[in-house]
Amino acid sequence: MDIFTTFDISASALKAQRTRLNTISSNMANVETTSTPEGGPYKKKSVYFETKPVSFKDQLNASLKGVEVTKIVEDESEPKKIYDPSHPDAAEDGYVAMPNVSILKEMADMSSATRSYEANTTVIKSAKRMALKALEIGR
Amino acid sequence: MKLLDPFDNNIKLLQKVMDLRSANQSVIATNIANADTPGYSKRVFEFEDALQSAINKPTGVMETTHAKHFPHTNTDIQSLHGTIREIKDERGIGDENSVSVDMEMIALSENQILYESVAQLLKKKLAMFKYAIQEGK
Repeated sequence: MDIFTTFDISASALKAQRTRLNTISSNMANVETTSTPEGGPYKKKSVYFETKPVSFKDQLNASLKGVEVTKIVEDESEPKKIYDPSHPDAAEDGYVAMPNVSILKEMADMSSATRSYEANTTVIKSAKRMALKALEIGR
Repeated sequence: MKLLDPFDNNIKLLQKVMDLRSANQSVIATNIANADTPGYSKRVFEFEDALQSAINKPTGVMETTHAKHFPHTNTDIQSLHGTIREIKDERGIGDENSVSVDMEMIALSENQILYESVAQLLKKKLAMFKYAIQEGK
């Protein structure tokens, strides 16, 4: 148990939140993408968070967990249909399958990711201040 | 108590508190890191009550009247460990994550301030020794 355990834990969270933000930006960028190499419109992607052990040294450290993105899952819900017969990807009936991405949901998710990121940077700052304070002893 | 015993109980206590506060910082960091992990149970590091009772314990030292007696020394503060308790989410809504980030942030700043004040106390105590060593100059 040392001050660097705190850094490890918070750094894992920063990494995970950054991955989440990358996923959100991918969703936002592809909100109008109707064609993908796999065929069909773009599917919304979400991150899957799981706890990650940081150390096995003792009981106390064993219950301390970092976090990591173990997989990125695709939303398999139905694509939105929009009537646009002139679109190159339009079906016979004139409807185009659009990605199942909701801009509003992505925006809300983005704020949440940003706040979580900020909370973890605050923890790192606080741990750093504590370490510096400990160095002041005996000065 | 001798005035200038550098290893008196106060210093031991302050050292222990700094250790425990530093551990508590890691526990709070764990909670904040996992604020978005589904199914995560919040961890609480409990040591304050145990510390309080260790301080209040009478520090009687037993006499060893026989060569085979074990010496009884007061090592309570040194051997004190905190315990980690998990609190499950009982609300039944959402993703079964029991972390509240704002409560954790409050715990974080509280822990930081208490750690810093203990570090300050330790610093002052050592400064006192220094003053004595330098004959008050």
